[in-house]
Amino acid sequence: MEIVYALVIGVLVASGTWLLLRARTFQVLMGLSLLSYAVNLFIFAAGRLMIDRPPIIGADGTADPARFADPVPQSLVLTAIVIGFATTALSLVVLLALRGLSGTDHVDGQESDT
Amino acid sequence: MSPWLQHLPVLPILIPLAAAAIILLFAESQRTLPLVIAFGSSLGQLLAATTLLYFTTDAVPHVWAEGIGTYTIGGWRAPFGIVLVVDRLSALMLVLNALLALPVLVYSIARSDRLGVYYHPLLQLLLMGLNGAFLTGDVFNLFVFFEILLAASYALLLHGAGTQRVRTALHFIVINLCASFAFLIGVAMIYSILGTLNMADMAARWPSLQNGDRGIADAGAAILAIAFLVKAASWPLNFWLPGAYTAALPSVTAVFSITTKVGVYAILRLGSLLEYSVAPLGGTWLFYGAIATMVFGIAGILASRQLQRVAAFNVILSSGTMLAAIGLAPGTMIAPALFYLLGSVLASGALFMLTGMTERMRTMTPETANSPSAQPVTYSAFRVGEPPDPHPPDAEVGVAIPSAMAFLGLAFVGCALLVTGMPPLAGFVGKLALLSGAFATLSRSGDTFRAWLLIGVLLAGGFAGLLAMSRIGMRLFWSVTGRATPRLRVIEAGPVAFLILLCIGLTAAAGPVMKYVDSAAQLLSDPQAYIRAVLADAPEGAP
Amino acid sequence: MVTLTWIILLPFLGSLCAAFLPRNAWNAEAWLAAAVSLGSLTLVAMRYPQVIDGGAVRSHLSWVPQLGLDLTLRMDGFAWVFSVLVTGIGALVVLYARYYMSPADPVPRFFAFLLAFMGAMLGVVLSGNLIQLVLFWELTSFTSFMLIAYWYHRDEARRGAAMALLVTAFGGLCLLAAVLMLARITGSYELDVVLASGDLIRRDPWYPAILILVLIAAFTKSAQFPFHFWLAHAMAAPTPVSAYLHSATIVKVGVFLLARLWPVLAGTGLWFGIVCTVGLTSLLLGAFAATFQRDMKGVLAYSTVSHLGLITLLLGMDSPLALVAAVFHMMNHATFKASLFMAAGIVDHESGTRDLTRLRGLAHAMPITATLATVAAAAMAGVPLLNGFLSKEMFFSETMFAGDALPIRIGLPVAATLAGVFSVAYSVRFVHRVFMGPLAVDLPRTPHEPTRWMLAPSTLLVVACVLVGTLPVVTIGPYLNTAMRGILGTSVPAYSLAVWHGFTTPLLMSALALAGGVVLYTWLYRRWDHALRPAPFAQLADGKRNFEVLIVRLIRTADRVMHLLYSPRQQAQLAVLAFTVVAIAATTLRELTFANPRSVSPIHPAFALLALVSSACACGAALQAKFHRLAALVMVGGTGLATCLTFAWFSAPDLALTQISVEVVTLVLILLGLRWLPKRLAMTDARQQTARTRLRRTRDFALAALAGVGMAALAYAMLTRPRHPGISTFFIENALPRGGGHNVVNVILVDFRGFDTLGEITVVGIVALTVYKLLRRFRPAPESIEMPQQQEQDPVEGVGPHDTQDALPHGYMRVPAVFGSLLLPVASVVSIFFLLRGHDAPGGGFVGGLIISIAFIVQYMIFGTRWIESRIRLHPQYWMAAGLLSAAAAGTGAWLVSSNFLTSMRWDLHLRFAQLHLSSTLLFDIGVYALVVGATGLMLIALAHQALRSRRHVLPEDAGHSARRNPTVETDVETRWKSSTRS
Repeated sequence: MEIVYALVIGVLVASGTWLLLRARTFQVLMGLSLLSYAVNLFIFAAGRLMIDRPPIIGADGTADPARFADPVPQSLVLTAIVIGFATTALSLVVLLALRGLSGTDHVDGQESDT
Repeated sequence: MSPWLQHLPVLPILIPLAAAAIILLFAESQRTLPLVIAFGSSLGQLLAATTLLYFTTDAVPHVWAEGIGTYTIGGWRAPFGIVLVVDRLSALMLVLNALLALPVLVYSIARSDRLGVYYHPLLQLLLMGLNGAFLTGDVFNLFVFFEILLAASYALLLHGAGTQRVRTALHFIVINLCASFAFLIGVAMIYSILGTLNMADMAARWPSLQNGDRGIADAGAAILAIAFLVKAASWPLNFWLPGAYTAALPSVTAVFSITTKVGVYAILRLGSLLEYSVAPLGGTWLFYGAIATMVFGIAGILASRQLQRVAAFNVILSSGTMLAAIGLAPGTMIAPALFYLLGSVLASGALFMLTGMTERMRTMTPETANSPSAQPVTYSAFRVGEPPDPHPPDAEVGVAIPSAMAFLGLAFVGCALLVTGMPPLAGFVGKLALLSGAFATLSRSGDTFRAWLLIGVLLAGGFAGLLAMSRIGMRLFWSVTGRATPRLRVIEAGPVAFLILLCIGLTAAAGPVMKYVDSAAQLLSDPQAYIRAVLADAPEGAP
Repeated sequence: MVTLTWIILLPFLGSLCAAFLPRNAWNAEAWLAAAVSLGSLTLVAMRYPQVIDGGAVRSHLSWVPQLGLDLTLRMDGFAWVFSVLVTGIGALVVLYARYYMSPADPVPRFFAFLLAFMGAMLGVVLSGNLIQLVLFWELTSFTSFMLIAYWYHRDEARRGAAMALLVTAFGGLCLLAAVLMLARITGSYELDVVLASGDLIRRDPWYPAILILVLIAAFTKSAQFPFHFWLAHAMAAPTPVSAYLHSATIVKVGVFLLARLWPVLAGTGLWFGIVCTVGLTSLLLGAFAATFQRDMKGVLAYSTVSHLGLITLLLGMDSPLALVAAVFHMMNHATFKASLFMAAGIVDHESGTRDLTRLRGLAHAMPITATLATVAAAAMAGVPLLNGFLSKEMFFSETMFAGDALPIRIGLPVAATLAGVFSVAYSVRFVHRVFMGPLAVDLPRTPHEPTRWMLAPSTLLVVACVLVGTLPVVTIGPYLNTAMRGILGTSVPAYSLAVWHGFTTPLLMSALALAGGVVLYTWLYRRWDHALRPAPFAQLADGKRNFEVLIVRLIRTADRVMHLLYSPRQQAQLAVLAFTVVAIAATTLRELTFANPRSVSPIHPAFALLALVSSACACGAALQAKFHRLAALVMVGGTGLATCLTFAWFSAPDLALTQISVEVVTLVLILLGLRWLPKRLAMTDARQQTARTRLRRTRDFALAALAGVGMAALAYAMLTRPRHPGISTFFIENALPRGGGHNVVNVILVDFRGFDTLGEITVVGIVALTVYKLLRRFRPAPESIEMPQQQEQDPVEGVGPHDTQDALPHGYMRVPAVFGSLLLPVASVVSIFFLLRGHDAPGGGFVGGLIISIAFIVQYMIFGTRWIESRIRLHPQYWMAAGLLSAAAAGTGAWLVSSNFLTSMRWDLHLRFAQLHLSSTLLFDIGVYALVVGATGLMLIALAHQALRSRRHVLPEDAGHSARRNPTVETDVETRWKSSTRS
């Protein structure tokens, strides 16, 4: 399982980076979203992978750490998701504004000669 | 300590947050009350910061052992909960931040805060982010505060709109988002190995790591350091800075002159805890990167035609100087670097505000004015070889300077002396401290090359700064043709004067201040003290 | 010794007062300045008894002890003599300037800087600490810069000042370096210590470097070859300034430094070689150039270069007697050169020009001035019975004993005599040209004697010249002796100041010089002066051009470096960043071990499929994002969905829930924004793949692949490592008992690490504000503001502007509208449910907030902005403020029970009908909820409103201009909208 998970992260990072290096603002935006997925998965991986052991303590209230997935990375990912959402929204609006002001969707606000 | 005073460490974060939230409740048309709140909040931060600074001194050893105070958020003790740590370095940064913020706030009342909505709440939130970053002892919480100050700085950079600002803002945002990704990746790697997020805890377990683990942890710290370096504007990760700092409003750039130092602070904090063992957190990598940054800054200063651009590259130069000092010899160079930091931050704040006033006297010829990019100089720019223009005898009567110009000129000279590190102001003392520190390492360490390199670049930087400043200053103030004396307003001139006077005071009180930064550096050089203070009540062998 | 401090403090205080006097009060200014300089002079004179027998007065003031940087004032005989020169001549210059400066001149600036300069000079002279000396050294550079550029409206003044500043400040930096090195050797900046350890320094390997740096500093200040050029251009200053700066003060600072450090640095072959060569060169060069100047002040400037070269040469000779001669000549030169400058100033002032080719026979018009100038010039030429003669005699005699090598024994005297010849020539020329012959008629002003007060200073100086020249032993003898004791201590050599030593070689040399000079001048007068040719080899003498070319070169190099090291393009920046990350990670990651494979769990086919889908979507998005945005968006959404399922799979229900709701909101946002982007068809920009772009694409691909592989490897290494319990154990164990919640993640978010959440919602709030801020100024691109096709097709039936009175929109939106209006209450219930259960089961404030705001945006989409806002008004700011405040309140509440910020508190209320468990964390979570509602609402609404704006823009493009013209212009819709978003 781990290898598949790692591969997914790799693919996401690769395509995200590729898009990040492109010249069109929308591409960069998409790249940022892909990268944020990858990063979230990566953080999540810091807690290792566990199946059906959600860190929700049952009614009996027995809390044996071995029986639960690591909750800390999950909370970190939650924070990361939220912040990522906010920044995605911001960059979207900024690229719209740039497009409106400069008339182009090139990341530098002007068509590069190359 | 009184039960209320014990909550002091969290105030620098809470005051601006509450102030911002309350200001949001007012309608835009209302002006005075929000201003009062913002001002009060800044004063409160200054008060809290100075009190914290006082607590860290040896004057009151009973308050905090070893001058390090901690405050556990939610009462969850370290390393589990988030803990705020006040040591001498962070207290110093808090005071510096508050000292810079106050005049900036006053200055922006004149013009900038009416060029768009929500200026004051966003400024307060930026301060909150800065203070939090200086205070927190938890690496993920540091990320959160980084994000706060970044988000606020995006907003402030965009304040006043305009194509140039939006264009640079896009770069600024994208670059910093990627830096944040690096931050998260680094944190995740470290957590996966150490299972902790508390910096002191990290530092405590770092030495005992096995090889394989150590490799990943180191890589994590290195990737983390890159996020810091981007913020600290270290070459080659600082291409976003010149554009952004030239496009933003002067009042905004004035407060930006400390945001780059947050990166330096983070490097210093984490580096000192890990004893500079990880590659870019210290040692050769950091040093040569910093030297490149300094060279980059010097070249930029020389190539600039605009005062604001010079100021921007000067920010880069000062960051590079600090990083180089840390990279050369943390033991001896940190105290000088800290003193230098105080002077340079206050001075560049004043300089940025000054640009706001000088750019209103239209001296620049249009083509230089609206093209921030460096154009190649022509010989004609200096009229080399041409004979000096003939002057009739009656021209030998001085031209009086209006008092507004006189003030601007004096302020400019003050800033120039400060940022170039020429005598006699604080800049000189700081630079002298750095130089003598570098000389001190000469006799000790084996490779003298790096010390000599730093000395040479420091001196060259001073001369380059002088050259650029004298050129621009003469163009600004002494070009007789087409100069409109700007209307000077007290709320604009006051803050600049305040900052410069502050620097003069810093010069006069250099002795005691140097004593304090020495003690701060002492504390940094002994990470065990920090670890002891933070993990004080943690049981033995706590996870 | 307090008085020492006052000697320096007085001028600075005076300058401060002078700066704030009214600009027409020049009598007051002059009186003030005179009082200050005379005051300092008397203070200096009072100290004479302490220094007369080689003693020194010291005063110590601690400044930065850690750096060894203290304010140490130290006055020995040498410093005393110099202080007298500085203050005395300063007083005379003040008196002179009072009458020289025109009433129109802004005198406060002049006197303020003059006094400041005087203070800086005294600081240099009296420094007992080398760093402090450097400090005042640079201060003299700055103040003299301001004085030279006093008439800053004149181009040559500006450029001359800048040149002087840069050259001398450069010297100052060299001096700083030298001083630091000296301190490394001797272990102190204190002058006494350094002077005491001469041998140590001379033996040190650093000695050559130190020597060269010090010499550069001295030569720049004293305008010695090759740094001599700035002096001539500094003549653009007002004449009183020149009289002060270039006779007694700034040019003397360099030789002062050499004499000061003479006991430490002198006495080596290196010293002899460099100092003598430079001195001799400057001596000859200056004398030669002076002979061909047209400007009176030009003559004086180059003669200054030459005389300082003479002093330097003497200092280089390594013999105490030469040192005596040098110091003696410093004093003499100060006196006669100052008076000569004053005379030149008078001539300029009264006749309106300084051009030697225009002036003639002024002796008829101004006899007194003529006499004074003649005597002073004679002193400069070294005519017997004047002070210049004595020191020149000493100089000549020293040249004969400088070295044993034949070229030196013969060459030096010859060179000296030659220099003498030239100096006589230019002195004669100076006098003859200006004062002799018939009175010139075509002068700008008709010349006449100035007021006697203007003559007084120069008269005094000339009298001094004569007195010293005739009765040296009584007049100057004791003071010279004091000065020498100050430098050499007890080992002052025996020397005689007698006017007559009998017929000696020096006398012969003087005679030769006088005769030769006269002959040379008469020859030149016939051959050269009538045809106004410039001086031969003028290029040699004028380094100005080279200097400016050098500066330009410097700046061009800087430009080149910038082009090399800097790129404003975002792609380049990101590439660099990505590369750096990969590189640093690769280098620090020493070895990457994939530990025990048994920790690897078997691959589940379904998950493999999921992974495949998400990877495929990612690649697809990467390929399609340029030309088919919607497709790319959908595929990215697919990846997001897959991520969400992955979270669910690996037992993270909270993550899944949050991810899915965030997905929805983000999708809506981007869809709202998509229409503003320019149409791009694969056809429109057909791939004209230049080699360059292909190269860049391959580079990017390699970089991306590298990053991907690296991250995958890291992730795998992390995953296969044994799990470290770490701090999570604590959280799991304490979540229920101490956190009071079953859902550990949520407890962490709102309790253990609630501070993070507080920060996180702050970020969301800031971003929402930023979006609103930005979109208020939004200006859509012209071509993207016409209606979308769907609306074009049926403007009547479409979602065009509704009549806000209708109960429901008509047209095809009616049915969705019914559902939509039903959706809102349901969604609110669901969201509150999620908020409340958050503590024990997946959910929480954030998810709840997102759900309700999704419901809101659906309302906007279905009913259209106007219709909605005519009914419901969401007030995002209030929601956000309330959210932040309640979260903060939940934290600060703990203070009341004197526990730390964000400490959770629980109250169990036992009511009759029910039992309530209230917790402060619930309040906190409500805060999160409120903020998320406000922030998301603000962003979505802000975007939604752009549609209205565009419709308004259908009338020809005006927003652009109007917005540019007046940034606060707003459409009616916007105003309504803002009134909706704010109260």
